[in-house]
Amino acid sequence: MTDTDTSPLNATRKPASPERGDAHRWLFYLVPVAALAVPFLFNDYLQYVANLMLVYVLVAVGFNIVLGNLGQLAFANTAFFGMGAYATGLLMAKLAVPFWIAIWAGGLAGALAGFLASAAALRGIRMYYLAIMTLAFGELMRWTYIHAEAVTEGSSGLGVPTATVFGIPLDTEAARFYVFLAIVTLVVKATANLLRSRVGRAFQAIKDNELATAALGIPTSRYVILAFVWSGAVVGIAGGMFAIALGRVVPESFNLLELIMHFAMVMVGGVGSLAGSVLGGVVITAAPELFRSYPGMQELFLAVLIAFVLLFMPRGLASLLARVSPLFRERFYRE
Amino acid sequence: MTVKSLLIAAAASLALAVPSALADDTTGLTKDTIKVGVPGPFTGDASSYSKAEIGLDAFYRHINDEGGIHGRKIEVIKADTACNEARGIAAAKKLIHQDEVFMIHGNSCSGVALAMKPTIEEAGVPWMIAHAVADKLSTPVVKTIFHGVPTSRDAGTFMAKYAMSRPDTKRIAIVAHSNEWAQSYRRPLVESLDEDHGIEPVLDMTMERGSTDATPQILKIRQADVDFVMAILYEAETAIFLRDAQKYGLDVTILGGYGTDLENTLKRVGDKDAVKNYQVLHMFQNVLGEGDLKTWGDVIHKYYPDEKLTAFSFAGIGSAIAMAKALEAAGPDLTREKLVAELDKIRDLDTGVLASDVTFTPEDHAGAKDSGVAAFDENGDIVIYRSWGQPF
Repeated sequence: MTDTDTSPLNATRKPASPERGDAHRWLFYLVPVAALAVPFLFNDYLQYVANLMLVYVLVAVGFNIVLGNLGQLAFANTAFFGMGAYATGLLMAKLAVPFWIAIWAGGLAGALAGFLASAAALRGIRMYYLAIMTLAFGELMRWTYIHAEAVTEGSSGLGVPTATVFGIPLDTEAARFYVFLAIVTLVVKATANLLRSRVGRAFQAIKDNELATAALGIPTSRYVILAFVWSGAVVGIAGGMFAIALGRVVPESFNLLELIMHFAMVMVGGVGSLAGSVLGGVVITAAPELFRSYPGMQELFLAVLIAFVLLFMPRGLASLLARVSPLFRERFYRE
Repeated sequence: MTVKSLLIAAAASLALAVPSALADDTTGLTKDTIKVGVPGPFTGDASSYSKAEIGLDAFYRHINDEGGIHGRKIEVIKADTACNEARGIAAAKKLIHQDEVFMIHGNSCSGVALAMKPTIEEAGVPWMIAHAVADKLSTPVVKTIFHGVPTSRDAGTFMAKYAMSRPDTKRIAIVAHSNEWAQSYRRPLVESLDEDHGIEPVLDMTMERGSTDATPQILKIRQADVDFVMAILYEAETAIFLRDAQKYGLDVTILGGYGTDLENTLKRVGDKDAVKNYQVLHMFQNVLGEGDLKTWGDVIHKYYPDEKLTAFSFAGIGSAIAMAKALEAAGPDLTREKLVAELDKIRDLDTGVLASDVTFTPEDHAGAKDSGVAAFDENGDIVIYRSWGQPF
């Protein structure tokens, strides 16, 4: 890694004005603070949906790192998600590991899966070839969950015990919501910081022109690995939360259809946008719920929504935010 | 708002969020209505199974037109699970906490039903499972959960019994999906072959959902010279398996689980010769268009004129008849406890639809044990068998 002052990654960006910086900070925390009211306002069902939204916010944030920020057409997201879910679930169910350790272990497992997935990218495999290889990796992982029956309990799935935090059982949707909200806030903040750092700029440089980036002396391989590992870790943590939310981990949850939904979250939210990932995770999770009581309408609405966004907002819902406020453009959204 | 006040608010919310005690046991009842939640896969690649829930809805509309139960009309609230675990839990929670139903009746897709089970069990809402077959849904017994169709354990055991009722059966191959639905048939099937009949399958293979080619499985089966194939596959994959079996001249009996029905399989394959060796578990006394299936088929068409009937259309009717009987017996002062108590009293109920009588006891909520097997006879007519060569 080139750490000299001449590295293009060390080039300073024009700082935002102090006023705007404060506004950014408040804006970032405004959403989770406002979200604290959710359990007061919503019933158990809507709280559960809110919990799923938080899970899928991280799923989209993680996916977007490789897809949007690094610009790699890699589809191992269900592998990361499943590894996180199974690691968390197995540690809690089989070894009685406390939730707070198990959830981060889920992140580690996802990071490991990310590291494995990066191997293909490091061999210079790109575009459709990388897409199909990572797809195969995801399916291989699902096959493993099914057939490693002695460990994973196979197709019948693994029951996950109730998580406990400081002796308080997370046996209600509200309790899970607060813990999930804290985790998501922490992970999104850390990811935002990473993407604003020289590492994030390296991701962007690789996305823009990998050869030129390497020619500048930037060790692209390391950054590619880092992007996959961070993406895997974020999605792995989401997997752990998913296991807790459902109380069960089954291989069917990590199939190709699930991957398509993850992809839709990134596309609808905005490729390469952190705010877009958050929006995509929330909207794609919430949209089908609006039509749950109208059989057959869920898929139709989802399809129309995706088509509408892609046709009229090709940069996703985040572009809408960027239009509304320059704060989002500067902080969360890159043209 | 200060950080301290936020923390206090959060703590207070945690305290308030303790599960609202088991809802009042008359939740979902008015003097005129009974709210019934009907979850099912109305969208997604398993949406053909939602015919079971359509049948249920038609049954309850028919009950309403007949005057309801003790003057109460059934208000069906459908909820789409898309055959997806996370969405299934959301559907259950919506029915329980938002729609506040009195009871739940339905659900296809075993894996999804298993995921929904803790939510429904915790809420204490009576649940009649109308189509999903995983035996873990009703065993061990949960006071409020009843199984209105044969479980996969009973079905898998029956498959072994049926295959071995043919005198010359010695070599059996299994082809199954890797999901819980198929494996919950396969496990008891293998156990029963071993424990009750002293044989092991010569082949035990997987064919994944979404497969478009069964050539490897067919060629292996041919090579192994088997004389009975258990194909525990969903509809689309069964059609592919049968198509390739015909293509490669595989001439052995193929027995399917409850994932298909004979008429629909014939329609999908489009060639009677390709399905001549196909037989399938059948949970009904009759075939489509005959007996009570004709009667209830007409009822379904009354409310859903364009509905295409398959065996799935009737999967919920037998349990609905049992449910109506229990609701009637519980009297006008209906409560959830009374309903559960009356369900527990049902003995040897001949629904006219299911091949098996329905019996619930407080110790056993898997109400229907027996199956039949539907097959084409030499004239091309469908016959229901109890065992090899023994018509129902």
